[in-house]
Amino acid sequence: MPKPKLSSLLDWTKERIPVDVQEWKSFTNEPVPNHLKHWWFALGGTPAILFGFQIVTGIFLLFYYVPTPTGAYDSITNITYEVRFGWYIRSLHKWSSELMIVTVMLHMTRVYFTGAYRNPRELNWMVGVVMLFVTFGLGFTGYSLIYDQLSYWAVMVGTEIAESTPLVGPLAADFIRGGPEISANTLTRLYIFHIVIFPAALAGLVVLHIIFVRLQGVTEFEFDHEKKLERKTFPLFPDHILTELLIAILILYILTMMTVFFPAGLGERANPLVTPNHIKPEWYFYASFKWLKLTNVYFGVLGQIAFAVVIFFWPFVDYFLIKWFPKTGMSIKIGFLGFSAYLVLTVWEAMT
Amino acid sequence: MSLNIKRIIIAVIGLFFLGSLLIVGAIENNKRTLGKKAAIKVSATSKNCVDCHTVKNPSLVEQWRDSKHAIRGVACMDCHEAQKTDVDAWEHEGHSIAVIVSPKDCSKCHARENQEFQESHHADAGKILGSLDNVLAEVVEGNTGRLGLDGNSPAAVNGCWQCHGSVVKIGKDGRPTPATWPNTGIGRINPDGSKGSCTACHSRHTFSPVVARQPDSCGKCHLGPDHPQKEIYEESKHGIAFKAFKEYMKLDVQPWRVGIEYTAAPTCATCHMSATQEQNVTHDVGRRISWNLRPPISEKIDAKAIKAGKLVESWEQRRKNMKNVCSKCHSEKYVDGFYVQFDSAINLYNEKYGMPSTKIIKMMKAGGVLTATAFDEELEWTYFYLWHHEGRRARHGAAMMAPDYTQWHGFFEVAERFYIHFVPQVKEACEKAIHESGEKMVAAKEVLKELDTILNKEEHKWFLGKMSGDEKASRNAAAEEFKKRYAQN
Repeated sequence: MPKPKLSSLLDWTKERIPVDVQEWKSFTNEPVPNHLKHWWFALGGTPAILFGFQIVTGIFLLFYYVPTPTGAYDSITNITYEVRFGWYIRSLHKWSSELMIVTVMLHMTRVYFTGAYRNPRELNWMVGVVMLFVTFGLGFTGYSLIYDQLSYWAVMVGTEIAESTPLVGPLAADFIRGGPEISANTLTRLYIFHIVIFPAALAGLVVLHIIFVRLQGVTEFEFDHEKKLERKTFPLFPDHILTELLIAILILYILTMMTVFFPAGLGERANPLVTPNHIKPEWYFYASFKWLKLTNVYFGVLGQIAFAVVIFFWPFVDYFLIKWFPKTGMSIKIGFLGFSAYLVLTVWEAMT
Repeated sequence: MSLNIKRIIIAVIGLFFLGSLLIVGAIENNKRTLGKKAAIKVSATSKNCVDCHTVKNPSLVEQWRDSKHAIRGVACMDCHEAQKTDVDAWEHEGHSIAVIVSPKDCSKCHARENQEFQESHHADAGKILGSLDNVLAEVVEGNTGRLGLDGNSPAAVNGCWQCHGSVVKIGKDGRPTPATWPNTGIGRINPDGSKGSCTACHSRHTFSPVVARQPDSCGKCHLGPDHPQKEIYEESKHGIAFKAFKEYMKLDVQPWRVGIEYTAAPTCATCHMSATQEQNVTHDVGRRISWNLRPPISEKIDAKAIKAGKLVESWEQRRKNMKNVCSKCHSEKYVDGFYVQFDSAINLYNEKYGMPSTKIIKMMKAGGVLTATAFDEELEWTYFYLWHHEGRRARHGAAMMAPDYTQWHGFFEVAERFYIHFVPQVKEACEKAIHESGEKMVAAKEVLKELDTILNKEEHKWFLGKMSGDEKASRNAAAEEFKKRYAQN
């Protein structure tokens, strides 16, 4: 009796792709702890979903964007006003980037206050911190590509801040600008960073981040009501994947409504000769900007570098805090202060 | 939460998402219906015009769509709507409209610009219709009778009026007559009584400042043998820089201040109209001009007003205004030096050619040596060429730094016209008159005497072979020096 066609097709495929489906299932259906049923713990996947949106919408934008000082603004005008659904894709890209930063921060807050960075997950925390910086980098470079007045002057201020970094500052600023001042080279570099270097780095880091999670498993918490449950875990697929899918669709819905009510705008064309009255970076840099305004440039930059270094090595700082101040919840207090400071500076800058 | 509930929620949110995509589609669709620009909103009254004219005159509507007017919601009826009592009102698709949008109409929103324009020489460009130039077009070149167009000379209708402006007449159907419209002459006399035409520079229907700031816009009228400002500008360093760096001129930005928004080059608008850090943009093009270089004898720009007892901005102040613009690219001494050179050229033209030739012609006309009819004698044409063509070229060339126009198209031709044509023709006409008896003879003798006085002046003596010994010696020395320097034999 001849074999059914489907079965022979499966055999054909199996011969060429020798992967055991059962093994694959154990990979995708790996049980995850019950606490992941809480929405709060599904935040890590959200930036990843948004990163996916960014790649898709970004590719669409690349079809039309021209990375030259004379062409950039016109091409964005074209995308916004002429290209079919251009405004929608551009607005999605913009709002998705902002939401990505919000969710990265929320995920980080959750990880921090639940102490999930502690032994043995210190390295993954550090990978995450680098991802945060890359995300900021993506935000900054993306904003700079618009080449309207605010975008241009944000680059100007950004590179000047970089320049004031001790020792490496002038070199770094020259590297970003591609010369002693902002020129066509600068835009090309920002463009390459935005579409190749940062996304590739982030993609690699996402993989590394997930590998770490899979190797170490997610941190296990047990909420009081979960203690009574017999099953301590639930399957990643379909249960948790459905949660992520739900979040993805919800985000798409929210983003679309944001584009409808607040489509991405476009300011005056960049004019190197006219400094706008109010130069402001994107909101997520407000705290940094305010801090620089409150201090002198030197101290301001050094302070921020120190802050970044401390965040990066936090699991080890935390180790010493626990050792020196046991049972005081010092990390929580410091964390609370740190996040409050960020919020206060951000709101303060927004109001001025 | 059970899997099923999760699935239901996903389905519900998915539906919401699809719904939101419908809104996105509707917005996109709405954009396409109204035009390409997302921000364009057409009022209900103008929508019919847009719909119909998009089919009939697609480029006209598309140009308007590209305009700031469209983005700001200024549409057809905002400019073309007329009161039923207006002379040029006519019924069109249930609306009372006017074809011509006059400066008075534009002043509803652009009051300051209109006010400045009305005070400018541009607004009075229609005055040409009563001038000597018009005799040329109406009588000498053209004909208002058998070959005329509604009693007008086609030469004037198609030529003079298209720059200077027509007196727009309205036919029985409420539409402008074909003899007087189309017309975008800058001094047009409109049916509502207002002077001028904003579209002379701000071409409809984009009304883009890019067009108005182009030297080509001014060049529609300011070119040719009698006032080649456009060509002069192109020959000057200013024009060369503009051509080379046009892409850096940011012709579309607002405000547009030399030294702030752009630094690459000046256009006509830069020097004569546009804003600097200290001055506002002005639509009175004479605000920075110190000389009137048009008449047979140049005079300071305020001279006529002073004679008429009118108070106007002094020429000194106007020169200061211009110097302010110059200072954005040049040092004070450089600008002062330029004005010393420029003034000396005007003085030379006036004293050596303008005043003597004008005096002679006036004496000949008054004494009957020349007939009262304009342009019926060769000498009148010679004199006209002297001041109206070549004399202006020399003066305008010096005013805007075009050496070739100043010299070869200018002073060289003025001199040739004066010595080789004007002087012999004056002598010939006078000698002819001397053979006739009466007043004419006396006048002719007076003219010859005056000509002799003129030619015996230091600047003309060379023509009589009376160059002074000192001057001859200094010229020879200069020639020797020149030969030595360039090793010529």
